[in-house]
Amino acid sequence: MLIWLILVPVIAAALIGLAKAPARLTALASATFTLIMGLWAVISTTLNPDCAECACWSTFAGHDLQFTLALPLSRIMLLLSVIVTFAAILGLKAPDKAAERSWSVSALLLSTGAIGAFLSDNIISFYAFHELALIPTFVMIGYYGRGDRRTIAWTATVYLGLASMVLLAGLLLLCSQMGVWSFSAIKVAVAAGTLPTGCLTAGLLLVGFGTLVSLFPFHSWAAPAYASAPTPIAMLHAGVLKKFGLYGLFTLAWAFGPACESFFGCWNNLLLVLLLGNVLWVGYVTVAQTRLDDMLGNSSVMHMGYIFLAFAAYVALGGNNELAFKGAAVLMLAHGLTIALLFLLTGQIEKQTRTLEMDSMGGLAQKLPGLGFIFGLAGLASIGLPLLANFAGEFTVFVSCFQGWTFGEPQFESGMLNTISGWFGGLGPVQLALIFALWGLVISAIYMLRAFRRIFEGPVGLASERATALSCTDKLSAAFLAFFIVLFGIFPFIVL
Amino acid sequence: MIQNLPWLFLLLPLAVAAIDWLFFKKCACCAAALSILSALGTFGLCIAYLTGLCTGTPDVYTWMPIATEGMPSLSLGLLMDPLAMRMMLVVTGIGLLVHIFSLGYMKGDTSNHSRYFAGLSIFMFSMTMIVLADNLAMTFIGWEMVGFSSYLLIGHWFNKESAADAAKKAFITNRVGDFGFLIGILLTMGVFGTLSFSEMGTGTEAIPTAVLTATVLCLFCGAIGKSAQFPLHVWLPDAMEGPTPVSALIHAATMVAAGVYMMVRLQVSMGEGAFTETACLVIAGVGAITAVLAALMAVQQDDIKRVLAYSTLSQLGYMIMAVGLLAGEAAMFHLYTHAWFKALLFLGAGAIIVRCHHEQDIWKMGGLGNRMPITTVCFLMGTFALIAIPGFSGFFSKELILDAALEKCPFFFWVGAGVAALTTFYMARLCIITFCGSARAHGAEHAKDGGFTMSMPLLLLAVMAVISGFGFVADYLVPFEGFHAHGFELGLPFYVSMGALVVGLLLAFVIYGCGKRSKDPLSGNFISKSLRERLYIDKFYDKGIIGILQECGARTIEFADSAIIRGLFAQGAAWFTGKIGMLLSWIQGGSLRAYSLIIGIGVIFVIFLLAYTFPSL
Amino acid sequence: MTPLAHYLILSGILFSIGLAGVLIRKNIIVVFMCLEMMLSAANISLVAFSRAQGTEGVPVYDAQVLALFVVAIAAAEVAIGLALIVAMFRARKSVESTAITSLKD
Repeated sequence: MLIWLILVPVIAAALIGLAKAPARLTALASATFTLIMGLWAVISTTLNPDCAECACWSTFAGHDLQFTLALPLSRIMLLLSVIVTFAAILGLKAPDKAAERSWSVSALLLSTGAIGAFLSDNIISFYAFHELALIPTFVMIGYYGRGDRRTIAWTATVYLGLASMVLLAGLLLLCSQMGVWSFSAIKVAVAAGTLPTGCLTAGLLLVGFGTLVSLFPFHSWAAPAYASAPTPIAMLHAGVLKKFGLYGLFTLAWAFGPACESFFGCWNNLLLVLLLGNVLWVGYVTVAQTRLDDMLGNSSVMHMGYIFLAFAAYVALGGNNELAFKGAAVLMLAHGLTIALLFLLTGQIEKQTRTLEMDSMGGLAQKLPGLGFIFGLAGLASIGLPLLANFAGEFTVFVSCFQGWTFGEPQFESGMLNTISGWFGGLGPVQLALIFALWGLVISAIYMLRAFRRIFEGPVGLASERATALSCTDKLSAAFLAFFIVLFGIFPFIVL
Repeated sequence: MIQNLPWLFLLLPLAVAAIDWLFFKKCACCAAALSILSALGTFGLCIAYLTGLCTGTPDVYTWMPIATEGMPSLSLGLLMDPLAMRMMLVVTGIGLLVHIFSLGYMKGDTSNHSRYFAGLSIFMFSMTMIVLADNLAMTFIGWEMVGFSSYLLIGHWFNKESAADAAKKAFITNRVGDFGFLIGILLTMGVFGTLSFSEMGTGTEAIPTAVLTATVLCLFCGAIGKSAQFPLHVWLPDAMEGPTPVSALIHAATMVAAGVYMMVRLQVSMGEGAFTETACLVIAGVGAITAVLAALMAVQQDDIKRVLAYSTLSQLGYMIMAVGLLAGEAAMFHLYTHAWFKALLFLGAGAIIVRCHHEQDIWKMGGLGNRMPITTVCFLMGTFALIAIPGFSGFFSKELILDAALEKCPFFFWVGAGVAALTTFYMARLCIITFCGSARAHGAEHAKDGGFTMSMPLLLLAVMAVISGFGFVADYLVPFEGFHAHGFELGLPFYVSMGALVVGLLLAFVIYGCGKRSKDPLSGNFISKSLRERLYIDKFYDKGIIGILQECGARTIEFADSAIIRGLFAQGAAWFTGKIGMLLSWIQGGSLRAYSLIIGIGVIFVIFLLAYTFPSL
Repeated sequence: MTPLAHYLILSGILFSIGLAGVLIRKNIIVVFMCLEMMLSAANISLVAFSRAQGTEGVPVYDAQVLALFVVAIAAAEVAIGLALIVAMFRARKSVESTAITSLKD
């Protein structure tokens, strides 16, 4: 059954691309199908978590290409993928007919790649599906991007290509060490006593996956690429595909169980420093942006830091930190929905005002109150307002960092960190990193509210004068995403 | 089922806010009516629980099912002890009156009614969340949500630059406080192993003093932000850009008092032992500094709402000082009386502003005493309570704080007395200029009392401002368990506060006479100027911290990011690779003959390898 | 019977001439013919080995089959190669190998 989640979009893409089927209709039909199918798959497996058949919902062609929802993060990521895909295709607004065709095809292929990766048990197909999804991203940025599109597309290509290479090396090393080639088999092998070893392998995996998730300092590709990409591509890539790296790290750590501490542990302190780079360094880079798309691109990079923090907390306790895992899951889902909605709205704002320079706008909420409301909701969600999805994830991640901690002596050799650690009763590296990372909450409030203030509030600016009404599909696609943000914010447990 | 009735406290306003916002955009009256009904409903429910008509403990709702070893699930539960329920009475009571008053105040702005009332309802929801929270996580949710509703309501007229800026400033300043608060919450969890208020108090003795101090002070950061204490006090005066009823409800009576409530709640549940000496000293010190600074700044403000805002700051400083002196009951008593009379003062100011065609400068009012008698009388009642004239509510609560200060640490007693004198002075100045003399501007000439929706809340609040300090009301309603009001007691505190009162009044009358002046005789010198400029603290934040530290820092980092990480590392690596490629490209000269030569040499090399290096092959 | 060495010497000389031609000449048609010459050299040694390795007058047919295979492939290669050269001449008006270096840039 799960195979249809992958085949249907591919067939739809082929129909549009080769058989000249009506682009919008076909894409929408396919997205609706995957949405219904995906929701059904998620709900039915969530309701019967112990049922073995349901857990491994379907298999395809024997062992080597097996799609499963049994991995802990698969369900939540499938949910994210189908929701964002539907919204992206519903809200898709191409400049002309030919573009509509290629935009639809790329959006469909992109989402297929993401869904395929999240459903794969086999590590090589997991990797290959992600590569498939990257191709339309490059092409679309190169052809339809904003700004200096060629350079940006090439930068992204080189970064991601290199990252994929490093990642492949890491995965191959790991799999040949373990002698098995799928996540579930690794779990079994680890339980049977074959432990993963090697700082080098762990480092390759961290750098490979990390670059795909724009871990500091390998983040330079992300913000320009998102800012430049056409709306549906930015939504799908930033919202869904980017979670591939974190998904991989968490699923591997889950498969390793307690062994993940010894495996990833040798990089954990470095990872803590790098994620602070994401939160604080990129946070201040975000504050300095003057264009909405640049700002959102950077903010998306910044928020990845918190999910890496959850990873570090998970690894530090040797996988005995379910909170971190769940928090990261919710945060990935929430961030995907929120950033997708923000990029969707960015596209609409650009269409209305024909600019993305924040200073030339102003007072847009007066002209388009609905747009202001949804943007405010999405913006506040992304800075972690309670009752919206991100807060549930962020707060759980924060709490998880204090799992297993009790007050005692300072935990560092000496120096300033030791002093700070001592003030708070002997904080460890993870807790200390958390305290610094919390400042990111202030930073994100600064840039998001400032953007909202410049775009929507104050007297009506020059560019805002041009705004007319939003179309029905604009409103529908935005409301669709907003609905899920509120739903998962109030009832986060339904996805756990 | 019936025991779950208290959830209505939360659900009713939340549902109403959603309905108002989503469905009643076009129907201003429906939105207003619905919000008022929800406020009435929660008020009724509150009365029912206070009088014992309804009882029972509501179910706990598991918000994040994350129970693991050493960490319970994050749950939302309602803690319905007397401390919470009596606080609820203040919140819902004043909330209801403000809802009604808003009908009159916002009459000219009906197009945005649904947004306004939805904002009020969402505020009621979030404030209830803080008050009834049974654990710190839930308090934090409410904490952020009140910040959000305050953002929404301050920025109600978001087309005005100043209102939009003020809203942003309020939210961000609060976030700075929440940064510390969140650390405090997490530390509490790590140190006490729980976030639930009812389980927190055990095992305090085993915890080192330094850890306790750090935890309490981090939690106190939340109160610094929300209750606008020095050095995060700057947002509150700017928040006066919001509609006046909002200022009365959120920025005078309830939300800003949430910090005090939270600290008292912690004192009750952690036990006073958790509040170490250092922590208490810092808390009381911050309160005292705020009280003094704010009272000084109030002396030279010309905007009627800003005078009241600084007065609120200064009174909040009093309460925080009481918390730091471990006098929780005094803090809550003052919170309670202050809520009534400050809401009254703000609503009175609102009535004046609306009748003077939205003029807020006191020097453009004057002589309103004759033209707006009801408003004037009510406003004066509130003023008497604030400046602690014996017999009015504020007198009793202030006396209690001064008593506590004299007992614990006389330094704070004298600070409190000084602030009392300043309070008397600036309130007397405000009343003289506004109500006496003759109108100084056109707007004030034809002012008259507001209609029923505006006068009724004023009168009710005036009654409360007078009687709420007396034992027969206070013993039942003060939001503190086992509170007993004191009667008049002659003693040092009484004499000193009477002295402060007399000094303040005398000075005010000497300087401002009978309100005939059209210009402040104190203005024009350096001290007055710096007080008007809020002692340059805002300017320092704006120019120094935001302008230089944050902006320049952000730009520098942005530059470094694009120059070093993107430019040097990424593009540098690309450039380097390109150069190497160019270097190696001479091999591929395009000459077929060269290629075949290389192939030939290669083949010979391979044969050589095979034949001589691996002879076994 | 001619000894094997004679065949191999002939084959070596042919191969060297061919190799020298490939390396030295610019004209692609000549280069092409030289290539063919090298193939022929290989064929000669194949057939020679086939005889020499044979027992009782029966040659080893594997080598002869291989030689035939080489001839067949060479024929196909000539067809494609000449077609390419013709196409190149049409495009560049030249059959010099120095004229086709545009990929370098």
